[in-house]
Amino acid sequence: MKNVSSLENIHKLGLFGNNDNKDELINIREIKDVLIYQIVKYKKSSISIDKIKIDNLNLPKTLFVSSNHYTRILWMGPDNWLVVSSNKEIEKSILENLSHDDFALTDLSHSRTILELEGSLVDEVLKKGCPLNLDGLDEGKCSNSAFHAITITIDFISSNPRKIRIFALRSFGESLYHSITDACLEFGYKAE
Amino acid sequence: MLYIKCPYCGLRAQKEFSYGGDATVKRPNINEEVSNEDWDNFVYMRKSPRGKHIELWQHIAGCRQWIKVQRDTATHEIFQTAKVTEEIR
Ligand SMILES: [Zn+2]
Repeated sequence: MKNVSSLENIHKLGLFGNNDNKDELINIREIKDVLIYQIVKYKKSSISIDKIKIDNLNLPKTLFVSSNHYTRILWMGPDNWLVVSSNKEIEKSILENLSHDDFALTDLSHSRTILELEGSLVDEVLKKGCPLNLDGLDEGKCSNSAFHAITITIDFISSNPRKIRIFALRSFGESLYHSITDACLEFGYKAE
Repeated sequence: MLYIKCPYCGLRAQKEFSYGGDATVKRPNINEEVSNEDWDNFVYMRKSPRGKHIELWQHIAGCRQWIKVQRDTATHEIFQTAKVTEEIR
């Protein structure tokens, strides 16, 4: 099934905002065509998650991400993870490694809008609408929070250069996009 | 704004939470006869104390867990937070 992005007519490429004579802009991309699965361990299950591997990755501990080139597994809450992957075989890997008796699996691939922001000013953009304390939220961490009252998940992909992904429910995608790009205007941004 | 320490995620801004009311209210036992008055008390009647109050909050824009918070309703000082399965004393 084709995944039609909620930003199909919103995400226009080019330079925007205060971008004249700037050494560095904020780069904004939309991440599309990834598979997203929610994994929840049942309350009644007593299985240990330590030995479980999905696409060779552990289920991460609180506020951490485990990742390889294709797949990122984000901690969402106690016994709750989000698998984001460009590996088309990821569902097979999940089903092979998780038992139906212990885990619930939900395909959320069409339910999220994902923005990727890159640049040294990314934290300044976040600070305008998100109450998170960003100290310590470096490469390999993730957190849920809110951006101007839109519930979001932030995946801190890399520290140098600073690169993050922001997930929101698809229906909030357009609103989040306007909120984020509005916050980027004073720094100048490149939509690519 | 309040800062609430989620037992799962750590110290977070109130913006990420939603308030869930008195955490000491107990639901009448299932499958037992309950008087209209007891049910009324459980559903509607709440104390509104000035001072220490144990309340439920949900980390709705975070880990989505319900937690207990002991807060002073006059000063807003938060003394303790706990998982719902834990006791606040
Ligand atoms: Zn939390």
